Amino acid sequence: MEGDKRFRELIDRSFVEEVSEGERQLIHDHIRDCDGCKRYLELTARTIRGLREFTFTSEPDSNAQVREILAHHTETMRQHNVQFKVWAAFAVALSMSIVGSALVYQVAKLLTVPMHFDTAQVQAGVLVFWLLPSFCSALRLLAAPGENRGIA
Amino acid sequence: MTLNTTAETETAKIARGLRERDMELLADLVERCQHRLVRYLLYLTGRREYAEDLAQETWIRVLQRGSQYNGRQRFDPWLFAIARNLAIDYLRKKRKAVATVSLPNDRDAMLLLPSSDPSPFEAAARSEDAMRLAGRLQILPPLYREALLLRFQEDLSLAEMAQVLGAPTTTVTSRIYRGLAALRSAFEEGDSHGG
Repeated sequence: MEGDKRFRELIDRSFVEEVSEGERQLIHDHIRDCDGCKRYLELTARTIRGLREFTFTSEPDSNAQVREILAHHTETMRQHNVQFKVWAAFAVALSMSIVGSALVYQVAKLLTVPMHFDTAQVQAGVLVFWLLPSFCSALRLLAAPGENRGIA
Repeated sequence: MTLNTTAETETAKIARGLRERDMELLADLVERCQHRLVRYLLYLTGRREYAEDLAQETWIRVLQRGSQYNGRQRFDPWLFAIARNLAIDYLRKKRKAVATVSLPNDRDAMLLLPSSDPSPFEAAARSEDAMRLAGRLQILPPLYREALLLRFQEDLSLAEMAQVLGAPTTTVTSRIYRGLAALRSAFEEGDSHGG
């Protein structure tokens, strides 16, 4: 009985995993004399054959539906990508505008004395001729239509 | 050797196409795999409508995470692994919605619960033996059903199955043996007077 159990495990294994030629021969020799194990082997083979005899039909338009959904998602993802690029470009332009204006202000302050300007004039000049134009350029990135927006 | 090289080229092509979100390649993959994907999800969930919905979700995930496919292994196991994770999450949400008892923590435990829903297996049985197995398949825990499908219908290797199931090969083989034992008994009982 214990021997049969071992053989049945070997039979199972022969259907699921690799078994050696020697083990295969062992099964073959054993089932010649053991009706119980022979039947076990037949039932296992029949079960596996039966499992292969299921045919599932898919919905006729299932593939087309999936393709349509994928096309829609691809378009949505592309749009999100463009939006992300636009905001990234705006963020970069805005920081460049602020940092650039600060630098220009520092340089202009140095020229205050030799050029006989007062601080308020320098501040107004930087604001009107540097900060506002660069800030407007950054804003234009957001306002430009579709594909022309962003760094791309 | 030639076959291996061809297979590598094919998977590398798929990996590149997925990275680039190539719609033509995706359409081709859908054409080739959708039927099998639905069948796999049907074995897993036991419900046709779940399977169709989850198959769509799986393809969306493939589109979103295509860059994670490295092209070094076959595409099918990777696809099935995505589908499996989605199915488990989906079933967990579904059962959370109807159950008041706490759920098991183990992800696989979700698949141990047999489905009480009507079986699509009888409709798919194409022989008398398959019809006999259909009743058993219906009550068989999906975890075992899944293992049997992947081995005997999808012909995945044990290593590929381990990748899909996220389990060691010893666990995989044990599930196959248990599933086989449960199904074999359908014939044993039916033919008991003959044995």
